[in-house]
Amino acid sequence: MTATTSESPKEPTGDKEAVRTLQRVTDDDLYRHSSQYRLWSFTPEQLNQRRIDINARAALRTDQNLKEFKEAHKELTDEELTALELKAVPVTVEEEYMLVNYYAKMIISFAGKMNLPTEVAATAASFLRRFYLVNSVMDIVPKEIFYTTLFFACKSENYFIGVESFAKKTKSTPESILKHEFKLLESLQFTLMNHHPYKALHGFFLDIQTVLQGKVDLKYMGQVYNNCKKTITDALLTDAVYFFTPPQITLAALLREDEALTSKYLELKFNIIKDAPNEDGNSDPIIDSQKRLNGRKLLEIIRNCKEIISRKNSTKQEELSRIAAKIHFSQNPQSVIERVKRQQQSSSATPDPEESQRKKQKT
Amino acid sequence: MMQTEYSKEKKVGEGTYAVVYVGTKYSTNRKVAIKEIKTSGFKDGLDMSAIREVKYLQEMNHVNVIELIDVFMAQNNLNLVLEFLPADLEMIIKDSSILFTNADIKSWLLMTLRGVHHCHRNFILHRDLKPNNLLLAPDGQLKLADFGLARNMGSPQEILTSNVVTRWYRAPELLFGAKHYTGAIDMWSVGVIFAELMLRIPYLPGKDDIDQIDVTFRALGTPTDRDWPEISTFSTYNKIQFYPPPSRDELRRRFAAATENALDLMCGMLTMNPHKRWDPTKCLTSEFFVELPEPTVPEELPKLNNK
Repeated sequence: MTATTSESPKEPTGDKEAVRTLQRVTDDDLYRHSSQYRLWSFTPEQLNQRRIDINARAALRTDQNLKEFKEAHKELTDEELTALELKAVPVTVEEEYMLVNYYAKMIISFAGKMNLPTEVAATAASFLRRFYLVNSVMDIVPKEIFYTTLFFACKSENYFIGVESFAKKTKSTPESILKHEFKLLESLQFTLMNHHPYKALHGFFLDIQTVLQGKVDLKYMGQVYNNCKKTITDALLTDAVYFFTPPQITLAALLREDEALTSKYLELKFNIIKDAPNEDGNSDPIIDSQKRLNGRKLLEIIRNCKEIISRKNSTKQEELSRIAAKIHFSQNPQSVIERVKRQQQSSSATPDPEESQRKKQKT
Repeated sequence: MMQTEYSKEKKVGEGTYAVVYVGTKYSTNRKVAIKEIKTSGFKDGLDMSAIREVKYLQEMNHVNVIELIDVFMAQNNLNLVLEFLPADLEMIIKDSSILFTNADIKSWLLMTLRGVHHCHRNFILHRDLKPNNLLLAPDGQLKLADFGLARNMGSPQEILTSNVVTRWYRAPELLFGAKHYTGAIDMWSVGVIFAELMLRIPYLPGKDDIDQIDVTFRALGTPTDRDWPEISTFSTYNKIQFYPPPSRDELRRRFAAATENALDLMCGMLTMNPHKRWDPTKCLTSEFFVELPEPTVPEELPKLNNK
């Protein structure tokens, strides 16, 4: 009964209050019930395995299709077969990752160009990345669900744009936008709620000013806020979103922005420095040490998170084109054969006038 | 997730965007309601109401919020499998053969407030609370349903539409066309529902949107900028009729069976100024729920008589 001994005996509701506190649903409980935690949070090992499995499944199907293609086309020459072996190869896990991330980045910058709210852009990126934790880029290429994802994110974030006007703005067609809407919803496992770190940023922005009252400059805090917002947007493209909660990511962004400020804030918030006076003056040694422990644990977590969100992952344009071509060839072996035929013709002494004509038109 | 996990036995309702069937989950023999979302004829793809309903129900887990058991796709239709709830509070209120006591009212109100509290804790606004959307389970539990108008609580600068909530349950700030509002709009609805439970007729039945303003302020008094300083920023405010607020005695006469604590709670929820209106926590910890009679245990609440 250590918890109740500190209670004043004058309060008859003390015990009742203690019981009630025990049963109370905490904010942590709420987050643990969210779909973001239940379905879309992983350990690094789980996430890695998931990507390996998705890639392996699609690669197997690709190889199978290739085998069937070869069997159906007995007339293939040795040269063509060699080209197939070289070109029609399934993409790797790493290549999938690079391609998906590139498109996730694109969707955010595209949303920016369309003047869509930050949350819509973030949700669109999240939807796209989650879609490829269920499907492989070899099943549906990112280009094909790009606008669908953005359109659907608008609807899901209560920022409705009619499909006609959306199509006009994106120079696409309503049919192509709506074609994969169900597939997207199904892949998202019918869970649409996204908690992004931006809300937490606003909260910390205010709380830091309260906790460090008189010690921070408002103008400077505004600068911290804006820079962190950018860091968070970049962080949404890392795997941190699968390993950490939104406020943890926010704190990591703050730590990255101003280590001294954020550490000071957390130290005061969690009484990390021993013997420091409590906010309300009276301190309970047990609660204090628990708080301190939580604070230290949190600091360790957000340092980890900071490391992950600080990793640079820029992929070169030619690398992306190479991956895109690889997907194209592996999913359409016929195109490899046509390519070989074209090369043979263009290298032969007398070029086929019809072929060169066709090529001209193409370019 | 397979369609074959469920049977669709009987069509029980049809709305603009969905058909509802009663069915059974084979594996558990549990009775369920299956809401089949119509997909053809919507040129903008999946309907917003369906998206909202799926989005918010997936996140909530509370005895006083309808449970979304499963979602599946069949023949290109979206199907929501919901817990089967055969009655709603409107049916009970309207059925004059059913008698209910103050303890029963307290029980229904308590369950409603708990459900609303859970929504608001999750930063979700229901935006369509009315007796018809408070469903009753066979074990007497009341559940908030129909999240087709729900949304996340807006961030400070975000503009929200005031064209929400069924007219009779619409808060004054919505009647004035507020572009920013909070969970307080749901609390107003609960206040009106509380009044309706005591009166057993709709409390503020406006004939149209203009009449709703008149009916609301005639019953509860036109707010002034003394108790609601921001009120003059609404452009329509200057055009409305001024009514004095009802005296406590007038309220006592109108709600003859209500205790002082019941009136306090109702007035708390029907406070004009949304900043001062009682929130779910204040309501749930109010004296009304401490004083006798204790709320009826859900299992013993009045039920619809079998037709």
